[in-house]
Amino acid sequence: MGKIQNQIFSSYQRDPVLYDEIFNNKGEIKDIYSRLFELYGGHSIKEYVHLNDKAKSSFFNQGITFQVYGEKESTEKIFPFDLFPRIIDPNEWDIIERGAIQRSRALNLFLWDIYHEQKIIKQGVVPLDLISSSANYLDQMIGLDPPGKIYNHISGTDIIKHNDGKYYVLEDNIRCPSGVSYVICNRTALKRALFGVFNHYNTHTVTNYAENLLDLLETVKPNGIDIPNVVVLTPGMYNSAFYEHSYLAKTMGVELVEGRDLFVENDFVYMKTTRGPERVDVIYRRVDDAFIDPLEFKPDSALGVPGLFAAYKKGNVTLANAPGTGVADDKAIYTYMPDIIKYYLDEEPILNNVHTYHCSKPDELKYVLENISELVIKPVDEAGGYGISIGNRLSKEQIEKVKAEVKAEPRKYVAQPIMSLSVHPTYIDDSESFEQRHVDLRTFTILGKDKEFVLKGGLTRVALKRGNLIVNSSQGGGSKDTWVLKE
Amino acid sequence: MLARVANNLFWMGRYIERSEHIARYLNVNYFSSLDAPHQLSQSRQFVLRSMLFMVGSPEKDDTKELVESEVLYKIGMDPNDPFSILSNVRYARENANSARDLISTELYEAINKFYHYVNSYDADLFVRSSLHDFTVNVTEMTAVLRGKMRGTLLHDEIYAIIMLGVNIERATQIIRMINAKHQDALMAQGSYGDKFSNSYEWTTLLKCAESYDMMRRFYKKTPNSISTLEFLILNPNCPRSVMNSLNQVCKHVKVLDPSKKYDKTSTSFLVGRVRAEYQYKYIKEIEEDIQGFIEDILSNLVAISEEMENEFFNY
Repeated sequence: MGKIQNQIFSSYQRDPVLYDEIFNNKGEIKDIYSRLFELYGGHSIKEYVHLNDKAKSSFFNQGITFQVYGEKESTEKIFPFDLFPRIIDPNEWDIIERGAIQRSRALNLFLWDIYHEQKIIKQGVVPLDLISSSANYLDQMIGLDPPGKIYNHISGTDIIKHNDGKYYVLEDNIRCPSGVSYVICNRTALKRALFGVFNHYNTHTVTNYAENLLDLLETVKPNGIDIPNVVVLTPGMYNSAFYEHSYLAKTMGVELVEGRDLFVENDFVYMKTTRGPERVDVIYRRVDDAFIDPLEFKPDSALGVPGLFAAYKKGNVTLANAPGTGVADDKAIYTYMPDIIKYYLDEEPILNNVHTYHCSKPDELKYVLENISELVIKPVDEAGGYGISIGNRLSKEQIEKVKAEVKAEPRKYVAQPIMSLSVHPTYIDDSESFEQRHVDLRTFTILGKDKEFVLKGGLTRVALKRGNLIVNSSQGGGSKDTWVLKE
Repeated sequence: MLARVANNLFWMGRYIERSEHIARYLNVNYFSSLDAPHQLSQSRQFVLRSMLFMVGSPEKDDTKELVESEVLYKIGMDPNDPFSILSNVRYARENANSARDLISTELYEAINKFYHYVNSYDADLFVRSSLHDFTVNVTEMTAVLRGKMRGTLLHDEIYAIIMLGVNIERATQIIRMINAKHQDALMAQGSYGDKFSNSYEWTTLLKCAESYDMMRRFYKKTPNSISTLEFLILNPNCPRSVMNSLNQVCKHVKVLDPSKKYDKTSTSFLVGRVRAEYQYKYIKEIEEDIQGFIEDILSNLVAISEEMENEFFNY
């Protein structure tokens, strides 16, 4: 364990086994962080605690909170935010950005194919049962052409840096990925608290997300519409991501609607306004597939709009993301991503994939069962970090339990080597000092008709519990502002 | 604007306004009773009953001994009582939440702060010793909210909807206060040196409406029943008068649908009609039957609210 000489880092414990984002393996500060390191070092820990408290109350007063359920009464908590930013240099960012676009485009072509000719299956690149057995494959989408031929308008790509210093994609999220509003709030909060540091770095802005989103959504308008009426569809104010829905509607300057505000007549969608019905052309929906239309999917859904899917089928309204994208971000498809990229784009994958073992294949299942203590076992269709077992953290009984579960339903599980997420100094309240914590990065990519955009920044999520590898906010994660530097 | 959201914003305005009037009523009545000139007005039971009457939850049993801390808790802090200040502020914030994409960040943050202030206030402290602190802060925070509404919102239909809520609620609350104080003045009369027409309750009423000083400046004499009612109901320059609220309602409702100004089935027409009636009223006509007048104006306000519901919020 090396010690660092700097006022607020005086007690920083560096574990040399882990890949530290700001210190090299000799314990020296990396060039890109050195100025920031000095600037932060100019504060005493007491000052820093004060700024940290201010930042927290700023989030609380802005109402950027989420509800925590399960206790007696639901309570409001802020999404923990760390004042020490993460910096990504322009060369590394170039790889991430190109990689994220490449994956999004490949996934889009893949979705088109599996809902049309299914060439990739016929040619044996991806096995048929992967799709036919997926709960997220929607028969209703077969043969349907979404406006602009775009399925995954908005993608969230979860990327980590392994201890070999390379970026790996852990997951593609192409249903309703959330978190982008926190990217912007984090930037705002950091600017308010420590505006001086921005003078020393040339950082890309993140506030242009909403304008780009609106631009790209307008490119996929239904035929025959001049200026489309775009809305954001939310499940309602009790949804944990409601702040984000309202933020996006507000910054795009469009209406935020709930299912009950919309109705369908003669296969056109309208919203109920104070001046009567008004036509809706593009819906950025933050409601899951199963709930969007009770006539077509879950019949008891109160969040959806009866007849919405029929209007979509007629081409009278655009849904972003398209229904049925879930089949392609499932963890089993993930493992075929290098092949999918090569197949459609004839390119080598720019971002690495973590090697994955399919429990559905007998020989790989055997390997998984024998080496469970060195693997992470994941259910293929759970979101939010639920149901994940990390092999080297399990007791003997737990290992047997996981084995039994995997054996019972092999299709439901995949396994990957335990990746070591890089660590980043993070201020910890309890010890009032900086400590190493694991981080990942979620990037946001938007695809439009012949246009694409990657937000230059992203959500760096931090696992606040010491040693924890799961960064999801539902599992006690926090986040950092993320700076992408200009060249 | 979405009809559902319009409804929420309308009620956001109403709840904010309502919480303010209740807070002020509690404050003024409680503290003015402490040294009231007359035995009954000084009685704690009398004041507590008046407070319950004003919020719409009168104590029916005349012989029941009310407990001060219970009554204060019920009106100020009880989360299970829909008319408590706490509940009103919660509803206001909930409505603001559902429309936070439409209102300014400044207004939202102020409402959110207001909510956190009320929600985290120590209920024990409130009933024991902090009635003044709490109610004064509530009225000040609502004043900030009014400033944020006027100063940070675009003055379009969203603003108009909120102002409709605020003004309909203001007129309603002023009438409720008049009703409560009218009852109190009736009860207190006949005791030594206290007649209905020059009862101490009229002064209290004016203070409840934050209109005492201006009323004195306007009439230059001690308030009595006629001058107080005239000032609070008919004077269009008094910002808390019913007439002033109706003028505001009239102005804002036209923003919502200017094309329907002359349509006899529109809210706009109904508002104009009600306003014209009070605009050309003599206070003597009202004085002949105060009780009847109060019921009449309350039902007019309800009718306007219902008409708005039909025309704009029907979803």
